[in-house]
Amino acid sequence: MLSRIADSMFWLNRYMERSDGLLRGVKTHYILLLDKGVNEDLSWRAMLETFATHDEEELKLLENDTENSLYKLLLDTANQNSLKMMIHRARENARGMQDHITKEVWEHVNHMYHDANQLSSSTSLQGFDAIKIIDSLSNECILFNGVSDTTMPRGMGWNFMNLGKFVERCILTIELTHKYLSLIEFKTEEEKDILYWRPLLLSLSGYEMHLKTYRSTNYNNNVLHQVLFNENFTRSVLYNLIRIEKYFKRIVENNHAEEKEALIKSLGRLVSKVKYTDFDSLNHLTLQVFLKETKKDLLEFSNQLAQTFFSYS
Amino acid sequence: MNCEDLLRQYSSYPGVWDEMCDNGQIRNQYQLVSEAVKQVDVATLQQKDRIASELFMSQGITFTVYSDNAGIERIFPFDILPRIITGREWDIVEKGIQQRLKALNMFLKDVYNEQQILKDKVVPANLIASCPNYTREVFGIKVPYDIYVHISGIDLIRGADGIFYVLEDNLRTPSGVSYMLENREVTKRIFPEMLASNKVRMVNNYPLLLHDILMQLAPQQISNPTAVLLTPGIYNSAYYEHTFLARQMGVPLVEGRDLVVDNHKVYMKTTYGLQQVHVIYRRVDDDFLDPLVFKPNSALGVPGLVSAYRKGNVAIVNAMGNGVADDKAVYAFVPAMIKYYLNEEPILPNVPTYELTNLEAKEHVFANIGNMVIKRTNESGGYGMLMGNKASEQEIDDFKQAIEKDPRSFIAQPIIKLSTVPCFINNRFEARHVDLRPYALCGPQGIKIVPGGLTRVALKEGSLVVNSSQGGGSKDTWIVD
Repeated sequence: MLSRIADSMFWLNRYMERSDGLLRGVKTHYILLLDKGVNEDLSWRAMLETFATHDEEELKLLENDTENSLYKLLLDTANQNSLKMMIHRARENARGMQDHITKEVWEHVNHMYHDANQLSSSTSLQGFDAIKIIDSLSNECILFNGVSDTTMPRGMGWNFMNLGKFVERCILTIELTHKYLSLIEFKTEEEKDILYWRPLLLSLSGYEMHLKTYRSTNYNNNVLHQVLFNENFTRSVLYNLIRIEKYFKRIVENNHAEEKEALIKSLGRLVSKVKYTDFDSLNHLTLQVFLKETKKDLLEFSNQLAQTFFSYS
Repeated sequence: MNCEDLLRQYSSYPGVWDEMCDNGQIRNQYQLVSEAVKQVDVATLQQKDRIASELFMSQGITFTVYSDNAGIERIFPFDILPRIITGREWDIVEKGIQQRLKALNMFLKDVYNEQQILKDKVVPANLIASCPNYTREVFGIKVPYDIYVHISGIDLIRGADGIFYVLEDNLRTPSGVSYMLENREVTKRIFPEMLASNKVRMVNNYPLLLHDILMQLAPQQISNPTAVLLTPGIYNSAYYEHTFLARQMGVPLVEGRDLVVDNHKVYMKTTYGLQQVHVIYRRVDDDFLDPLVFKPNSALGVPGLVSAYRKGNVAIVNAMGNGVADDKAVYAFVPAMIKYYLNEEPILPNVPTYELTNLEAKEHVFANIGNMVIKRTNESGGYGMLMGNKASEQEIDDFKQAIEKDPRSFIAQPIIKLSTVPCFINNRFEARHVDLRPYALCGPQGIKIVPGGLTRVALKEGSLVVNSSQGGGSKDTWIVD
């Protein structure tokens, strides 16, 4: 397979997965922000910091302004991580390798692109139009996963697609978890109730699972365990690392690149580190380090991967 | 047509409290909503109305009507305009319900143990002795924290004087709470900005509060108790609510056949073998819970459940035997209970109630039957009721005869004109009568009531019967500060 194609496969899925995560988060925050909550500390801040801006002044201006936050996150073309920009890039990647993806996948991505393109700065993100738009885009992201899964051949391309998907998902989980932890300054020993964690869990589609799986009222620990280490949770860090390892192994199986040994080792170290972390040893200091390092190692792996397999220029 | 005209054309009934209008003026709490409604046209409201119905249908929030052997799925009608109550009014309602439940819990403990209130003749002993819902089988059973009514839905109505009255205490398996929660979710879809700008108090932590209480009721030495929700099964009209609550609490939804009692302990049959159950939130009526004690042919219950309950190995929510406290004839004595147990004046008044065993009362009722509603004491859902102002001569005569034969089974109340709210019906705003059912949760740490409740609407013009089985619908209920 051409390096360029592998690159496009990887990034098509990274963008699609990021769009999916963005839309889940947007929907969750939008719905929860309509009520006057018991803890009145929910705002758009976590979402904006993850997907839009770190400018404190801008954050203060936007965090309690639903309409403009939605615009920034979904439509603003000046924001490189807005939904519109991501769909645009996903489609560019798909267009450049139409012969390597199935007709169904291409048409679906193309369709999403045109849908997203119809949304312009004048599109109303007010009232009940907003949730309609969010819902329909979110469904299209889910459908993308289904269309790929049922039509794509299980060859090298498939492996790179999945690698992209799980790398992105893993980073998103780390990012959002980090945001919700930093809002309480990583003081996990001070108990927060489930209402505090609900936006995070819903954004990761893990709320129902949480209720079913964790029974004690030690919410901080339970939530952290779920999003970091629960192997049955499709958005936990560990689950995603295990998937990454699986598809990476398939890629390097019959590959004789010189750098592959170094890559295998660096990924192996990362997976083992998360897998064998003693959960009880995580306190507010080690937790910060743990999240930071995991993310750094993952990005490093992703860079090495790109240098080894995708560098064609 | 735009909705400003519709609002102007809205007229409430004379002599009836309207929740939105006070002598043609829009009340404060409705100002923001009426302003928002003025901005849209009728077609938009129609669209919202349609979307709301589609949302209920696509989520499966339906009940099934069986005719010609084909099940037809219907939704419980939902009116898109919210019913709004001020925080100040709500505080009274909240305190009143807390007080009432405290007294009712003490009454249930008393009546199944020492029976002091009967000995002191505050409540007549023959009233309890003749009550079909007094359950001798649970006499003397000790329940955790002396709480009998964990979940209640007390029906309130607002009279022409603007005061909330208690119409009925539902202390057995009150339903409808899922509609309270889903109505809010639908409002979020159709009126997001209107909702946000009103800063409405949140209701959606109800399942979490309920779950907390279930956990606290488990025998104390258990660190990870198992709670389940026991449903009669998919043919029950409230089945959607059972699945909804189980999912929102993350507890297994079980049927009677999933449970088994061994050595006075309750287990559920799982693929890993038997797993002990510590708390059962049951939505099965007392009579069907245990075929060894109650109806022997019931397939909905679990043989041996009462013995496990008696031993304290399983907590049952609500407790068995609560029917004696929400009997319509016992209802008349609740204010007396509040004085007797708490030495307080009732915060929420009762609707005046005539016991027909009392000769004078009976004569008074017969003389004024046109202004009376007669209710059977052991029926609910709007059945077994006679509205004196609507009934035919024949119906009245039938009821009179039945009352003469068995006066204990009936009570009479003056017809109270329930307050009205505007509803979007026939592309107009029309006044319809409503009640209010707040859902209270009673646990070891006190009584919690999520701000709001279910507002039920009598959708037929002029009708005072809000029950869903009798053409009733519902509304989202907002508590605003």
